[in-house]
Amino acid sequence: MTRVTIPIGPQHPLLKEPLSFLLTVEGEEVMESVLRLGYVHRGIERLCQERTYVQNIPLIERVCGICSHVHTTTYCQGVEALSGLEVPPRGLYLRALMCEMERIHSHLLWLGVLSKNMGFDTIFMYAWRDREIVLDIMEELSGGRVSHAVNVVGGVRIDLDEEHARSILTRFDVLEQQVERALELIEYEPTLMARTQGVGILSPEQVRRYCVVGPVARASGVDIDLRRDLPRPPYDRLEFKVITHPAGDVWARTLVRVRETRESLHLCRQIIAQLPDGPTSVTAKRRVPEGEVVSRSEAPRGEVIYYIRSDDSDKPARLKIRTPTMTALITLPDQLRGATMADVPVVLSGVDLCIACADR
Amino acid sequence: MNDLLGSLFALLVFPGLAFLSTCALAFDWLDRRVIARMQGRVGPPWFQPLADLIKLLAKEDILPTGANETVAAVLPMVSLASVLTAALYVPVGGRVAASFEGDLIVVLFLLSIPALAYFLAGWVTVGVYSVLGGNRSLLQYFSYEVPFLMALSTPAILNSSWSIAEISARQLTWGLFTLPLGFILALVGLIGKLKRDPLDIPKAKSEVVAGALTEFSGRKLALWHLAMSMQTVVGIFLLVNLFLGGSKAIFLAVPPPLAPVIFGLKALTILVLLSTFSVLYARLRIDQLARLGWRVLAPLALVQILVTVWMGG
Amino acid sequence: MPRYNWPLLPEILRTLFNRPITVQYPFGPLEMPERYRGRVDIQAEKCRGCGLCVRDCPASALELERVDKETFRLIYHPDRCAYCGQCEESCRFDSIYLTNDFVPGTPHRENLTTVLVDRKPEEGEESGGDDEPA
Repeated sequence: MTRVTIPIGPQHPLLKEPLSFLLTVEGEEVMESVLRLGYVHRGIERLCQERTYVQNIPLIERVCGICSHVHTTTYCQGVEALSGLEVPPRGLYLRALMCEMERIHSHLLWLGVLSKNMGFDTIFMYAWRDREIVLDIMEELSGGRVSHAVNVVGGVRIDLDEEHARSILTRFDVLEQQVERALELIEYEPTLMARTQGVGILSPEQVRRYCVVGPVARASGVDIDLRRDLPRPPYDRLEFKVITHPAGDVWARTLVRVRETRESLHLCRQIIAQLPDGPTSVTAKRRVPEGEVVSRSEAPRGEVIYYIRSDDSDKPARLKIRTPTMTALITLPDQLRGATMADVPVVLSGVDLCIACADR
Repeated sequence: MNDLLGSLFALLVFPGLAFLSTCALAFDWLDRRVIARMQGRVGPPWFQPLADLIKLLAKEDILPTGANETVAAVLPMVSLASVLTAALYVPVGGRVAASFEGDLIVVLFLLSIPALAYFLAGWVTVGVYSVLGGNRSLLQYFSYEVPFLMALSTPAILNSSWSIAEISARQLTWGLFTLPLGFILALVGLIGKLKRDPLDIPKAKSEVVAGALTEFSGRKLALWHLAMSMQTVVGIFLLVNLFLGGSKAIFLAVPPPLAPVIFGLKALTILVLLSTFSVLYARLRIDQLARLGWRVLAPLALVQILVTVWMGG
Repeated sequence: MPRYNWPLLPEILRTLFNRPITVQYPFGPLEMPERYRGRVDIQAEKCRGCGLCVRDCPASALELERVDKETFRLIYHPDRCAYCGQCEESCRFDSIYLTNDFVPGTPHRENLTTVLVDRKPEEGEESGGDDEPA
């Protein structure tokens, strides 16, 4: 059979963000694939050096359009460590609450994108409908659906009163019901299973070799989760399970992510129940003393790392971001080898593509 | 002279172009609306399919260099013409424009022409996605067509006639009850034939952009869409005649003026069934469809034929 | 083990006979939550023209034209605004704040610019026109 080169991207209905794949196919089988990145490189890391620590927060929020809060959280953690600030417990709890809600919203969004790409529009619509519940809550809390602008160096801006907490909890009940239904669907829906099982398999060895993190790694049976492995308050006081699955295919990733959504809901409930009293933030100085720090936290897509070097001024001397998507992206040529054309969308969405994250 | 006028009327008005395109647009809208409501959305307003058609007709018609322009222009017309011709032999509401013993075979043949035209469309407009979509459509054709034909032949065997109008008239109890398996197989086959979700493999957006029609635009694309929608209508009418007893109600005798209403209700039921199927499942892979077609559907169709023969056709 | 082949069917039927959840926005009302971060507004009498909001604004959406301590203008460019709420956070006099009014589109970008504060000395002394911006 003759080999044909098929471009996927930078413009393709499959991709919501620009990324280029050159697939060499024989009939329907993918023989080879070449990945090209950099279409949405915005120079955020360099730009951060030009702006003050305060001004960087809205910029860093825009590294990723989905997990925006966890990026600012990691950044603020780093800056707080550099300036020796102690965030009040209420601030930490509210930060974690936003993080967990963001995980719910990110995972449901991902479920929708995967379903859409394998031609299952109904689950796409339902997942995004249910995601709206948590988006509404976040909008009420922070004033934005995805760019929350919640974090400041030294704490959070938002606060949660009793009445609002009660209304959130009732809506969580609705959401939990929907997540349970989605789980049932993933475990029993025949066409969904037929499309995702045995597709895009990553072995634990490959996961370790490529340093893959997050749900993709956990779906290959690699048991890593920073929330448990590097417990920061409030996660050291919360109970949750780290979801893993040995299969390593897209189906396992689906299952892991939706089960994580359920865990996150439990986490949110615990956070609201245990929410301590007190101030939500402390005032931070504009100048940050000289030093360097590596700040890590568990984003919806895995571990995100910030390296910040300060030089006793109000601007960072160097800032480096390692996003979790990058690690998963580079495994795609491996996952695609031997797959059919029809598997390409499933495999590509299976790792939760966030190209803006990867390019920064 | 009267004959000529009659044929012209049949071709252009009823059950030809005017009637069929109205039905096609209405069914298209209803389909989209029902799917939208099942997914919790609102869906388009009633004039949306018409607006889409007019917009496409007004758009610039371009083809990539290297494409065979004549063939690309002829193909949508060929599929439209074959669907229109097929419609002449399918009774609507108890009325049929033309009928002879064996017209079922002709209609089935005419309804496969669009599938072949679709495949050719992929080949003459040179594009990787077009060729891939064309290839897929041919593979899909081989998977659904055999069980589909076998399923549609069962009511013919049972009623010992190969004329659609005859089969429709002779059914005392609906084929749905005497041949339940055949009906389901015919429905699945129809989904494959119409390239609807979940068997929209040849035009899967996230895989091959728009399949064989990727490079089409303007008037040609409008004709393609019209032909596809009309094919949906004719396919549904065919199933109503073969399996749901045409315009007859189930227990009571229907006064002739009400016959079209009954027929329409049955057609809408099948349409809603098709919509439900497209909401219910994810798109299959082409190898999965081939396996389904040859390992499940074809043997089941064979069983249904044997049972029908044994029942004494 | 598949229990049945159409686990989605109950949910589909439930959805079909419920109202659609789509918000018919331009044809119907759209309530924004109280905390929604929309257009920036100010309680002009509280503003002292300290310029903290201008300094912290990450998008250079605020501009301060200062003549002297008593005479200044605070100008807001919504087309540059990132709606991050940093100005509200930075303000020490609770003067500048974000309303929950989301800015609708406009074909004329220049019309968006608004003067939030136009402070002149109490005595009615004439302001000295544009001086160096702060």
